[in-house]
Amino acid sequence: MTAAAATAHHAIVSTRSTRLWNAKNSRFDKNVCLVSVGSCCPGNRKLGLLCASGSQSSVTEPVQQPSNGKGDHSPKKSKESSLILIRHGESMWNEKNLFTGCVDVPLTPKGVQEAIEAGSRIRNLPIDVIYTSSMVRAQMTAMLAMMQHRRKKVPIIMHNESEQAHSWSKIYSEDTKKLSIPVITAWQLNERMYGELQGLNKQETADQFGKEQVHEWRRSYGIPPPNGESLEMCAERAVSYFNDQVVPQLTSGKHVMVAAHANSLRSIIMHLDRLTSQEVISLELSTGIPMLYIFKEGKFVRRGSPVGPSEASVYAYTKNLAQYRQKLDSMVQ
Amino acid sequence: MAASTSQHALISIKPAAPAASFSCGKRAGNARFVSATGCCPGSRKFGLVCAANSQSSVIEPVHLPSSPESGSTPKKSGESALILIRHGESLWNEKNLFTGCVDVPLTPKGVNEAIEAGKRICNIPVDVIYTSSLIRAQMTAMLAMMQHRRKKVPIIVHSESERAHQWSQVYSEETKKQSIPVVTAWQLNERMYGELQGLNKQETADRFGKDQVHEWRRSYDIPPPNGESLEMCAERAVSYFKDQIVPQLVAGKHVMIAAHGNSLRSIIMHLDKLTSQEVISLELSTGIPMLYIFKEGKFIRRGSPAGPSEAGVYAYTKKLAQYRQKLDGM
Repeated sequence: MTAAAATAHHAIVSTRSTRLWNAKNSRFDKNVCLVSVGSCCPGNRKLGLLCASGSQSSVTEPVQQPSNGKGDHSPKKSKESSLILIRHGESMWNEKNLFTGCVDVPLTPKGVQEAIEAGSRIRNLPIDVIYTSSMVRAQMTAMLAMMQHRRKKVPIIMHNESEQAHSWSKIYSEDTKKLSIPVITAWQLNERMYGELQGLNKQETADQFGKEQVHEWRRSYGIPPPNGESLEMCAERAVSYFNDQVVPQLTSGKHVMVAAHANSLRSIIMHLDRLTSQEVISLELSTGIPMLYIFKEGKFVRRGSPVGPSEASVYAYTKNLAQYRQKLDSMVQ
Repeated sequence: MAASTSQHALISIKPAAPAASFSCGKRAGNARFVSATGCCPGSRKFGLVCAANSQSSVIEPVHLPSSPESGSTPKKSGESALILIRHGESLWNEKNLFTGCVDVPLTPKGVNEAIEAGKRICNIPVDVIYTSSLIRAQMTAMLAMMQHRRKKVPIIVHSESERAHQWSQVYSEETKKQSIPVVTAWQLNERMYGELQGLNKQETADRFGKDQVHEWRRSYDIPPPNGESLEMCAERAVSYFKDQIVPQLVAGKHVMIAAHGNSLRSIIMHLDKLTSQEVISLELSTGIPMLYIFKEGKFIRRGSPAGPSEAGVYAYTKKLAQYRQKLDGM
């Protein structure tokens, strides 16, 4: 990693205490929070390098090749895909302070705004496929975020729940398909299932089970609430799904967005960043602030959070992403 | 009668059609539902408070207004509200592509239409919501309900598998009472457009011929290749409506349906006893909810609830006036 990139990391991860991202060991030392940050990189440096080598065919539409691109000659070395993680914003039960888990409650107006905000931060990043949970708050977040994407492709939810659902949702135009982004819904990306706490408020729960017991369920790694999942159990099914379904997409060069929930995303980040169970417990993810990873040569490199449109700074993290951005700029909308 | 006057203000008739008075019993040729301004002319408020028994399904036990004795509701006063909302602009509407059952989301305009629709229904009781299995209708329902004054939380019911059912259980009775179940059903999906799905109008005319396409779009019973005719769509939508939704209304529950152009037309055809000729020319506004009152086994159309800034009658029946007052008093 270059010095510039390491500096970028420092600026991106704002820590609550003095604990920092340890770039050398690629791990957090302690209690780190991914929170909303200002600019990705200090100063006003634009990463304006144009990559003269082959552009990835998965990034660039065949019909939209930049002038110097030669799709066939991508050296393996420059192949990379982006992975965007978005946690949905405020739901109606968040607002009421109720334990939600897998109860399918929708977003509040604030949560809708957060999704739109998140969208403004990812609008220049390529996306080929979207994964979301089976809950409407994550699906809405994905759809609202994509409303502003510059590439103007249309996210389309895949239906496989029955043969009829599958055949009824077929598209009969190749051009239209090319301008579509498949959206795959998966229960494995659902929020951690909170069992008998679902629907209870924090007071009710403390009364019913005792304050310490509740604290243990909420903050432990391996202890599930009654008839619920522990974080460990949630991680098991979320990370399995990620490895089985999402990684192959990234390996084949597809750019992926995952719109999900705090615990399913923490589980995935734990896997990507090789966190310990102690570290993951204290990991808190901002809502509405997308997280970006670059998948390259089988490794996940964290790139923090893409900046909002009004923030002066680097707008792409790699040459390929810079190219993609330039292509968007030159496209007639 | 006041009711028929209000109907006039609601239904705007296409100029080419014969001028017709639209009242509940008669049907005008070529009627259209379009955006209506005031529900009723003038600024009459329907301020009667009904001293008769209130329906327990309208009023939460914990919020009873001072008058009613909930135990002895005479059958005669039982009525429920049925709200129909057609979703707004989708990303393929914007691109002028045939959509059918392809699950495309709303545009920002469609999102706003849903929010606008929500403002119009914020004072009308809703106990249960039905929507299709497509995200544009589901989002419309959720966005509309964000501003509902009763502040109950819509919760999508999951029964696609045993696990989905288990995992979505709510363990607080109090919380359940503050919830509105949302039932998703493919039977309320948009008409399935078969091999036209994803094609633009030019492509389609090129591939199949302009007249053929016109026939598919405008006929009642001729389906596009591997698709549904409006008749087929109506068959599954109306069956579902009768099997699942009418029992709710009969039980006194207030129902909202958030769905699509053709599935809603089918239901309206059934409610208003339209002919196939009439239903073909029926066009539903997006984002403008339609209200029916279900009473004594009959559906009475009440047009479209007024937006919040429009002076007019804000309730169509004594029950709805009471409900509104209860909200005001909360």
